[in-house]
Amino acid sequence: MDKQPDTHPQDEHHIAGCATCQARFALEGLDVNLERVWQGVVAGVWSRPVSRTERLLGSLLHSPGLARALLTTPSLLPSWLLATAAVLTVGVFFTYSTGQPWVALLAPALAGASIAYAYGPGIDPAFELAQSLPVSHRTVLLVRAFTVFALNALLGLAASLVAGELSLLTASWLIPMSAVSALALTISLLSHSANTGVFAAFSGWALIVLGGRVATEQWAAAVTDATLMPFYLLVAALMTVVILRLADESDRRKANWR
Amino acid sequence: MTVLVQLTDITRRFGLTEALKEVSLMVGPGVFGLLGPNGAGKTTLLRVLATVLEPDEGRLRLLGRDPADREARREIRRRLGYLPQSLGFYPDFTVFEFVEYFALLKEMAPEQVRPAVVRAIERVGLDDRARAQLKTLSGGMLRRVGIAQAIVNDPALLLLDEPTAGLDPEQRVQFRALLREIGAQGTVIVSTHLVEDVAAVCSDVALIDRGRIVFRGTPAELVAHGADEAVGDTPLEKGYTAVLAGVR
Repeated sequence: MDKQPDTHPQDEHHIAGCATCQARFALEGLDVNLERVWQGVVAGVWSRPVSRTERLLGSLLHSPGLARALLTTPSLLPSWLLATAAVLTVGVFFTYSTGQPWVALLAPALAGASIAYAYGPGIDPAFELAQSLPVSHRTVLLVRAFTVFALNALLGLAASLVAGELSLLTASWLIPMSAVSALALTISLLSHSANTGVFAAFSGWALIVLGGRVATEQWAAAVTDATLMPFYLLVAALMTVVILRLADESDRRKANWR
Repeated sequence: MTVLVQLTDITRRFGLTEALKEVSLMVGPGVFGLLGPNGAGKTTLLRVLATVLEPDEGRLRLLGRDPADREARREIRRRLGYLPQSLGFYPDFTVFEFVEYFALLKEMAPEQVRPAVVRAIERVGLDDRARAQLKTLSGGMLRRVGIAQAIVNDPALLLLDEPTAGLDPEQRVQFRALLREIGAQGTVIVSTHLVEDVAAVCSDVALIDRGRIVFRGTPAELVAHGADEAVGDTPLEKGYTAVLAGVR
């Protein structure tokens, strides 16, 4: 659109009686960057307001980018958390109806699945791009994994409370949960596939539970047998070392994500 | 010439395959074209420059810093724009959210993020689709979203891998104008196998084949290599094929 030529005279008499000229001079005197103001207005229209959770996380993590990266974790989306809670609720129901510790047996497998879907080339569509950004992918991985683990532990503990399993069982399944979660994340990162990580977690845990059942004729053996605890701790520690190495930026050339 | 990108004898292997073999290159401000056939090593070179891959051998300096140093690498990444060949998208994100996400991850000052996102979206001509979810966009539009995230931080070094793939002719003309504008302020390295893109915007060009730089010069110098009998429809294509034929 063509701009109309400015035909207003610039003498004091005219300006004193012209509202348009007075408004224009007032704006010029304010030294306002109108382009920036406009961009702010447009951004307000185009964007959604930042949620309180994101603001809080941004403050806690000292990084708005990391907060956004955390909130995009697939296994932290409300639908995923609701599904986890639903499965645990079914576990509570079966614990009451069968007398077997279903929550204790389900919690490690659920945490393993959630952790496998926390981070990696198979999870983040823009993973390649994320590796060229100043917020390190090691930090994103650790923050996501920790948060997913903590939320799953809380959900499992709540389900245990409702199922009346608190005490020895509660303390026990947290340790195998660490091992299963670490295994799931390791396999997911190595294979570049979250589904493979979930499969590894489910298979590993199922083997231990079934092995315990065969050996002791008790379903709860996998979480009550004290002799298994050092094994879980060893697996968790070893897998954590592997995860840290895979995520270590100084080791990028060996990671070779393609 | 201010050297913003300096590679000295860079070698990068994938197993037994040498994707880059002792590549040495110096690049200053302007638009630099990286030409070569498929599998020549262009993408690997761009990934090394984007600090996604570490070279096995050789020295690399970007924006006057050594990316092997963690803090220097972080500073380089703040001033870097990168468009990978195949950029993944979060389908439920809107255009604005996607570009904003990467602006945040580039550690831009919070008060600068939203105006910069608006500017980047406007520059790639997607202002009418800023609130559209990515899953509703065409391939060409998604490519422009990718370009928007790359330029959102006004990068001093912009790396673009096949940026015009999927763009229609009108969009390509607009994109070339954008490249010239960005190239006037910093360094742009464009990897492509479309020689017409190079002819239109690049002040300098390198031809890479089987992991080695086999030509370095201006587009006019590349044209000068072309003989009448060389394969190609345009003088630059003739120069391109003549150089490749000469080294094979």
